[in-house]
Amino acid sequence: MTEPLTLGESLRRQGVSRRGFLGFCAATASLMALPPAMVPRIAEALERAKRPSVIWMSFQECTGCLESLTRSHTPSVEGLIFDYISLDYQETLQAAAGTAAEQAREEAMKANWGNYLLIVDGSIPTAEDGLYSTIGGVTNLQSLQDAAEGAAAIIAVGSCAAFGGLPMADPNPTGAVAVSDLIHDRPVVNVSGCPPIPTVIAGVLAQFLTFGTLPELDPLGRPKTFFANTIHDRCYRRPFYERGQFAESFDDEGAKNGWCLYKLGCKGPVTYNACATVKWNAGTSFPIQAGHGCIGCSEPNFWDAGGFYRALPQGTMTSVGAIGAAAAAGAVIGAGAAILARGKQKQTAETEQ
Amino acid sequence: MTLLDFARGPALQAALMIFALGVVWRAVGAVLIQRTTDFSQPRRGTAERVAGGLRTTWSRFFVSEALEKRIHFQHIAGALWHLGFFIVLLLFVPHILFFESLLGFGWPGLPNPVILVVAAITLATLLAVLIRRMTNPVSRIISTTDDYISWIVTALPLVTGIMAGAHLGLRYETMLALHLLSVALLLVWFPFGKLMHLFLIWPARYNVGALFARRGVRI
Amino acid sequence: MSMNTEAFAQFREGVNQLPEMAPPPAQMTDQQRVQAFKKTIVESIKAHQAVGLETCVHCGMCAQACHYFVATGNAKYTPIRKLAPLRRVYRRELSPMRWLVRLVTRDITAKQLEDWQELIYDSCTECGRCSLVCPTGVHIQDMIVMSREALANAGLAAAELRMMSTEQGEKGTMFGMGKDTLVQTIEQFRQKGLEIPVDQKGSEVLVVSSVIDMFLFQDTLEGTIRIMDAIGRPWTYSTCGYEGANFGYMAGFQEYRKAASMRVIDAAIDLGVKTVIVPECGHAYPALRWDGAAVYGKPLPFEVLAISEFIAREIKAGNLRVKPLAEGKTVTFHDPCKLGRMGGVFEEPREALDALGVKISEPDVNREQSYCCGGGAGNFLIKRAAPLRAQVWDKKRQQFDRTGAEAVVTSCDSCRINFSVGAQDTRWDKPIESLAAMVGANLAE
Repeated sequence: MTEPLTLGESLRRQGVSRRGFLGFCAATASLMALPPAMVPRIAEALERAKRPSVIWMSFQECTGCLESLTRSHTPSVEGLIFDYISLDYQETLQAAAGTAAEQAREEAMKANWGNYLLIVDGSIPTAEDGLYSTIGGVTNLQSLQDAAEGAAAIIAVGSCAAFGGLPMADPNPTGAVAVSDLIHDRPVVNVSGCPPIPTVIAGVLAQFLTFGTLPELDPLGRPKTFFANTIHDRCYRRPFYERGQFAESFDDEGAKNGWCLYKLGCKGPVTYNACATVKWNAGTSFPIQAGHGCIGCSEPNFWDAGGFYRALPQGTMTSVGAIGAAAAAGAVIGAGAAILARGKQKQTAETEQ
Repeated sequence: MTLLDFARGPALQAALMIFALGVVWRAVGAVLIQRTTDFSQPRRGTAERVAGGLRTTWSRFFVSEALEKRIHFQHIAGALWHLGFFIVLLLFVPHILFFESLLGFGWPGLPNPVILVVAAITLATLLAVLIRRMTNPVSRIISTTDDYISWIVTALPLVTGIMAGAHLGLRYETMLALHLLSVALLLVWFPFGKLMHLFLIWPARYNVGALFARRGVRI
Repeated sequence: MSMNTEAFAQFREGVNQLPEMAPPPAQMTDQQRVQAFKKTIVESIKAHQAVGLETCVHCGMCAQACHYFVATGNAKYTPIRKLAPLRRVYRRELSPMRWLVRLVTRDITAKQLEDWQELIYDSCTECGRCSLVCPTGVHIQDMIVMSREALANAGLAAAELRMMSTEQGEKGTMFGMGKDTLVQTIEQFRQKGLEIPVDQKGSEVLVVSSVIDMFLFQDTLEGTIRIMDAIGRPWTYSTCGYEGANFGYMAGFQEYRKAASMRVIDAAIDLGVKTVIVPECGHAYPALRWDGAAVYGKPLPFEVLAISEFIAREIKAGNLRVKPLAEGKTVTFHDPCKLGRMGGVFEEPREALDALGVKISEPDVNREQSYCCGGGAGNFLIKRAAPLRAQVWDKKRQQFDRTGAEAVVTSCDSCRINFSVGAQDTRWDKPIESLAAMVGANLAE
């Protein structure tokens, strides 16, 4: 199971040079907006880091978050570090299955009680006492509560775990909720995104490994380092927005010229994530660069926010028919008021002074 | 439901409905008060009276030479404020997209920096108008609570809109929510105060113009 | 001045004594006053007035148009403010959201009505300049007229106007003068050799006059007679319907107004005339031309013309020939509010002056934008308003001075009286002429 190698030893075993390792530490420090003086400290901490126990529990999820995390075209340092936490339970990656896997998890939890990191992806169904998702006969609801008890901290990976995600979309038949809706006595870090950017996960873990602390969080519990700015504020197409040059359809001149996608439903202005700067696939691109508007996947309720292709000001759930009906009602009331007024006028004229 | 979801959804929906109901109620209720037939011999025929009425709906935007010197401030501030407000309301792309969702069609807009400048000038004009209302003897003696409430509900969307667009104040989606809520407030107040003049000046000006045209006086 | 100075002095003295001569108003409780005021407003408000009251935005432009505000700088004369009691009644009793209004607005009080008497009477001549400029389309003028009616019913009409309209309404006389005065004056003119038909049935034209002309402005009266004779159409005076002035109309007493108007209308119908000529008396014109049919209940069976309209028409038709004034002088023309802005008569007096060969130097604001003389709607009778009128005269005098004209011509007795009073008190020496008098005195042989 767990090997008593430190992280530094493990990396060297994998052939990562000291130079490469320091480069990663510098990049991480820079990504987390830490001063260069911290780099040696990061290096030292990571070098000596004891591989912490990490329990990864998956609930109502699509495995996309894990896929994102493990996706790498070339062996990346993130991947290597990932191999060097002690991932004591992860259903997709582990070799064990069935009761053996559950037993392994329970032993790891007991051995590291109070110190293990719990990673959760997927939402937790609560309808019908949580029977819509069970593992080994145990509801996710129960599993989360049990696992959270001994966790040092919980990282809710992906918008489902962070905010409820797709299962929570209207009408939410399973009663899906987020981790933070259920756990209130442990620190929870929401790493939202559908899926989240791989580097973002790595950064959070690196912080935890380096400092033993969790990063500073925004009002929605997301690491400020990666979620402090909106896509809109960092988008390279911003000048087109300001100038009023918009793509009106996906294949018109505007789209071909790389103009702003606001009119095609981009939710960039209200979406906080690092896509516009850090990008995806090791900095290759992100949705807007590929010509599709941001769908706001790192925000709560993005599935119900009015439609991916309805521009932000348009998705207001405004029923025009109801407004028309109100106007008609107004006409009736107004006419009634006038008729009554006329009657009053006539009656007053007819009475003697 | 976040504040923004509430503002974009139920709040705006309810506000638009109250707005529609109230505006039509008040307009219809006023226009249908009794009319009497004027049996005097008109100096101008029907066509000319209609033309006179229509002419007045337009001519009242301008000031007679007799008055020009005396009402410089009102005329210029009034024009600047209204033009600025309508430019911001109708030519800012996000607003146009909102109207498109209601009406089914949109129209071209102006670049955002232009709108920001216009909005700032409009807000400054609005402030000047308030100061005048509070200091000028004629304005003071005829001002009512309605005037001040209407000013506040009109200024708030401008202020919150500028703040949201320029990233001032609270987080963007909070400012946006406050902006939308202030718009909802404006819509809800609209039918009950003097903002109704947006709809009522047309029949009012027409009536005055037609009445004077009937007597052969072009105004 | 081209009028009888002695008569003018007597007239001014008589007007001065009016307040003492006026009998006390009817005794009414505060509640009765409020009820009476409200009743008038509720039964009279029309759709265009309702819309106007809903749409005022309190911009204050109306003040800048009002001669009383312009002359004094006192904000209390702001025209829309004069309508405050009326507007409050409308909003509480008739407006579409009256149920909500009542929750936040108190009812009017008798004290407020008493305070408003001086605003509705002393400081408003119903000149209509405010209606002209209001950017949102409030027709303030015709609601002031309604306010006068409402105040009159509440026993709060200005004392002098109440007195005059009661006398005229009940006895048919003004200042004690009536039919006898007409007959005497006609006799006087017949002595001069003028032909003056009276009570001639089957005439085409009924000429209405005014006691003011008979007593004060005989040049106008004589001019009118000479003009009618020269035209040659069959015309007549009537000993029943001879008075154009209508104090009930000005004060707001509807029954007295109706009595005065019906005397003229009945006379015209009885005589079978096609045309009724209104004398040079401001309110007389709209009283008959625009509001006579309302009193009659249906369209009038005759046309109504101001004397200036008639003169211009007959000059154009070639029936009336005038000779140019020997001096070829420069005059300025003052457009009376009730004939001009509220009447629609602008070009005819000017055409007549053109025919007389005089050069017209227009005031800087004229025609429908002309400033009121300050004493119309019967206000020249209100003693306590004299200082106010003097301030307005100051502005008018400066306006006339700027034209550089040798004389002021107008076509309204009221204006003529006001200017003459002002001229006398400030020793302003330019004559205030009557158009009809000028034309009548310069007919071609």
